[in-house]
Amino acid sequence: MFQSTKRLLAVILALVFCLCAASFVGAQNLASFKTLKGKIDIAGGTAHIPVMKDAAEQIMKFNPNIRITVAGGGSGVGVQKVGAGLVDIGDTGRALTKAEIAKYGLKTFPFAIDGVALAVNPKNPVSALTSRQIQDIFAGKIKNWKAVGGPNEPIHLFTRDEASGTRATFWKELLKKGPINAKANVVPSNGAMKMAIAQDPQAIGYVGIGFLDKTVKGIKLNRVEPTQENAKSGKYPVTRLLYMNTKGEPSPLVKTFIAYIRGPEGAKIIKKHGFLPLTK
Amino acid sequence: MSIQREIPLAPTAEAALKTHWRRLNRRQGRVQALLLLATLISCGSVVAILGFLTYFTVPILTEGHLTAIFSWSWRPFHGKFGILPMVAGSLCLAASAMAVAYPLGLGICGFAHGLGPRWLRGPLMGLINFMTSIPTVVYGFVSVIFLVPLVRTTFPASTGYSWLTATLTLSLMILPTIVLLIQAQLQQVDAKVRLASAALGFSPSQTLLWVMRPLAARGLWAAAVLGFSRALGDTLIALMVAGNAPQVPHSMLDSIRTLTAHIALVVATDSTSRAYQSIFVSGLILFAVTGAVNLSLRRLQSRTPAGKRHA
Amino acid sequence: MAYFLARGFAWLAVAAVLGVVLLFLGFLVVRGLSTFNLGLFFGKTPVWAAITGRLPVWHGIWPACVGTILLVLLASGLALPLGVASGIYLAHYAQDAWKRWFGLAVEVLAGIPSILMGLFGFALILFLKKTFVPQANTCLLLSACCLALLVLPYLIFMTQTTLESLPEELRLAGLSLGFTPWQNMLHVLLPAASRGVLSGVILAVGRAAEDTAVILLTGVVANAGLPSGILGKYEALPFHIFYLASQARTEAELAKGFGAALILLLITAALFLGAYYLKSTVTKSWDQKDLLI
Repeated sequence: MFQSTKRLLAVILALVFCLCAASFVGAQNLASFKTLKGKIDIAGGTAHIPVMKDAAEQIMKFNPNIRITVAGGGSGVGVQKVGAGLVDIGDTGRALTKAEIAKYGLKTFPFAIDGVALAVNPKNPVSALTSRQIQDIFAGKIKNWKAVGGPNEPIHLFTRDEASGTRATFWKELLKKGPINAKANVVPSNGAMKMAIAQDPQAIGYVGIGFLDKTVKGIKLNRVEPTQENAKSGKYPVTRLLYMNTKGEPSPLVKTFIAYIRGPEGAKIIKKHGFLPLTK
Repeated sequence: MSIQREIPLAPTAEAALKTHWRRLNRRQGRVQALLLLATLISCGSVVAILGFLTYFTVPILTEGHLTAIFSWSWRPFHGKFGILPMVAGSLCLAASAMAVAYPLGLGICGFAHGLGPRWLRGPLMGLINFMTSIPTVVYGFVSVIFLVPLVRTTFPASTGYSWLTATLTLSLMILPTIVLLIQAQLQQVDAKVRLASAALGFSPSQTLLWVMRPLAARGLWAAAVLGFSRALGDTLIALMVAGNAPQVPHSMLDSIRTLTAHIALVVATDSTSRAYQSIFVSGLILFAVTGAVNLSLRRLQSRTPAGKRHA
Repeated sequence: MAYFLARGFAWLAVAAVLGVVLLFLGFLVVRGLSTFNLGLFFGKTPVWAAITGRLPVWHGIWPACVGTILLVLLASGLALPLGVASGIYLAHYAQDAWKRWFGLAVEVLAGIPSILMGLFGFALILFLKKTFVPQANTCLLLSACCLALLVLPYLIFMTQTTLESLPEELRLAGLSLGFTPWQNMLHVLLPAASRGVLSGVILAVGRAAEDTAVILLTGVVANAGLPSGILGKYEALPFHIFYLASQARTEAELAKGFGAALILLLITAALFLGAYYLKSTVTKSWDQKDLLI
């Protein structure tokens, strides 16, 4: 009795496996992972997480001998962890500084373009601001939405932690390294920023353009719509590249992973999450 | 038979017994040494933690950055690494959470000892005991989804991520610690004075207010101190709902950052930067304060219910 | 007058706390229960293939559950021998002067915030990497070690107090029958104290299962699949909840957070009830003094 149930289970299991395997045959680019095994630990930039997770899912489903772990933390974490050798790939949402490259011996691989957009709640009637207004809002000089054409309500300021590459880009390109009000709430990731803004009609913050959707509205900057196309053409000025970084020459597995992300399959994933793949 | 055989063997038996005893003794010694070793490892870990914190703090001292760290402005991009706002944040949050939780705790204990009906005492204490098992992160999660929007809609000036939100959530978390400690002390006192005060004609609530309360003073202090220490040591609630702005709060609706949340946020930066070094100073401060709290507890009570502790 | 005020306040306090806690639990249970289905655990992966680990699970909390279970087992495995041995030593072997100092250290250990344990672990790994073990990395084992430190005081304390609360007659009876102190400990005292020790163990397990701050710094990640080994990075339930609380991209993901939170609460509550039951039987049996073993 038990024996037969077991056998039945085994047969079902085998069937399931065949089905799964069959669905993998079509994937061509993944084929390069076929003979590889090992693990890749990834940490860093939070804008990267969706892309990395998706890629990891595809690869691990294709070849269960490969294990890919994905953690966030911010660009600072990416640099620190890959520099200390705690992860294999450290993601950053900003270019590495010369000091960082020299200190840790890092190699850097850009793979996507992303703009940094000012974001508000869709309920907020304000949809365009000038750089000057934005600087004043973040410095704490403008405290009410009324001053920029909105309702008579206080502005809720959200910013990112110091490890953030999004913050670094925003601060350098848009605030021109001006002050950020110390009263601003600090959230630890792009996802958290999006969630905070999506819940709060009075909020203003900034996220990678890839994170804009119907729950958070991008603000036109000097009348330019924050889209990836505008970011690519240079019309929208606050842009950055997304990078993967390794310490020294990457191992074969990590190299394959980077090639996968930068290849056509990776480009699809990158596009799906709202970023523009970097064509070589 | 056996006796006959044993008599001639007596000298050997004595020797055997002696070796047996010696072996037992040696085993005793070994066991004791092993137990001592385990104890040394357990207690050594405290020294190790303190050692590590100090080791990483020393560079700051020798390079003379201590005054920079003990200042009121945290702007790492402008070279300002002051952690005093976080110290203030930690103290403010712990104090306010205590201000909410402690009176509630007193009320609940009073309720269980004469101010409320007896039949409710069992279920109430059961619930309080159960509260100790609710994970901190679950408190934080529900608070983010439920309390934060509530605070935001009630007070439009606030984003909802605020000192107030964190205070309410945290007070719920430390409440069981406070209640259980006071309760334990009251129970001890109760057993001693119940008959005497009843004989003197006191009602149960009179007994509680004028006889037991003064006698339970030590328990009351211990609960305050331990509750404060737990509130100070919490990371998750502060990190999730307090807003994390590195500022000295001006109102309950302001966003604040505690030392614990500061460590969690900044541990992610470049490990040779001064921002990174500042978290070890924060750690040392936390260690010193919680350590001092526990030492003062030791003076208060001969025995601390360490089993009731969370951090 | 004062009585009425006091009585009124007591009622108010109880009503407020009861109201808030029940509201809180109700909110969690209602939102959490509606998410309970196989998809919550396994996503779209076939259940059996997921459990056997043949296929990785995505969009489900199964890897986080396994991670938490492994973490707890490993942490208690490390802490149990240390904690019980230390408890025995403090209860029966240590001389008074030493006992004071050791007791002091244990109490300080009990008071250290969990984030400091995490920071210690993180700093330790960086230190080891720079000095003796270049391949050292944050991992399941490191988290377990730090969690073991966190729960050690519970074990020591429960062992010590239960042993000390045993009637003196019991100890003397064993010794007078010719047991050596250690035999007496092993065959008489420890079995008699086992329930108390066990309840300490369960409390420790509950604490290890719920703590987030320690693992935050010592190797937990957002996405790993099943842990590859004790030297690999892993997922864990409390961190998963923390992650979803701030990073959920869709309503569905947020709903999963409620499911995960409810699961974690059920686990810690069950452990707690077990400990509570064991502890109450211990005190009862010795209070009545009608039971020597």
